Amino acid sequence: MQRPDLKQSLGRLLGPREPEIGCDDCFDQLDAYVELELAGGDTEHAFPGLRAHLEGCPACREEHESLRALVGGEQAL
Amino acid sequence: MEAALIGTSGRGGTVVSEPVKAHANLFLVPEQPAVSVLDDESRAWLRDLRSAGAEHDAAVGRLHLLLLRAARFEVARRRPTLPHLRGNELDDIALEAANDALVSVLARLDSFRGASRFTTWVYKFALLEAAVKLRKRAWQGREVPIEPESWSLFETGGPGPAQEVFQQELLGAVQDGIARLTPHQRGVLVALALNGVPIDVLAERLESTRGALYKTLHDGRRALRTYLEEQGFDASTWFEDER
Repeated sequence: MQRPDLKQSLGRLLGPREPEIGCDDCFDQLDAYVELELAGGDTEHAFPGLRAHLEGCPACREEHESLRALVGGEQAL
Repeated sequence: MEAALIGTSGRGGTVVSEPVKAHANLFLVPEQPAVSVLDDESRAWLRDLRSAGAEHDAAVGRLHLLLLRAARFEVARRRPTLPHLRGNELDDIALEAANDALVSVLARLDSFRGASRFTTWVYKFALLEAAVKLRKRAWQGREVPIEPESWSLFETGGPGPAQEVFQQELLGAVQDGIARLTPHQRGVLVALALNGVPIDVLAERLESTRGALYKTLHDGRRALRTYLEEQGFDASTWFEDER
């Protein structure tokens, strides 16, 4: 079994360096974030701290990926 | 662990230090979004769901189908990670998720501000419900580890002896920093960030919420980062290619 990489493990321990929002605010904004993201808009400017939160929170990151895939798939039809 | 602690610094000297204290750990608080102009489809959804009688019931039925579709989408995405669950169990989870999401959406209808299309807004409720149920099912009956597994399991070492020594010192400082967190911060940090316990699973076991646990994780991370910097480890140079 491969041992966990120290740097990656430390990355998970220390989380994002940038200021971030919390899980509840992330959920509140996730729909608008995904639509702007799929439209190629400036999500960094429109949603400060959301991308950093997705880096630090695996659960919110998974739900972001799912919503992006679902909405993006519909738009592609 | 509130008393002063004796530990070994990252650079080899013995230090006496106070427990790590969290400071300046507030989350960013987003500005309240302005009410947007609703698109025609979103306006029709709200009108129908706020109507009465058969029109309302039909709209609720359509909404449930939409939520069920999103919940099944999430179940299908996660199916490879759940080989022990049979198809009918996964169908049941998707249906439960859609039912719970329907209750949430109807209860929060007035909070929809039109920042996205109505369908995108409701999808996230179904995806959340399905994801949480699947995480909990995957960890059903499993112990939730809140102590580090063996630190020696980490892959250390580098191109030369100096790198090896640096990594061992860093690892020692990380262990010291974690030991200085409050017991609650330490347990949450280790379970979520080190042992890979899903936050919803830990929230259920600790009778807490995702938001509250992430705040604890955030505070613990900041305190650990501060401690490491105090010990002379510059976190800004470690992970340039690892994020």
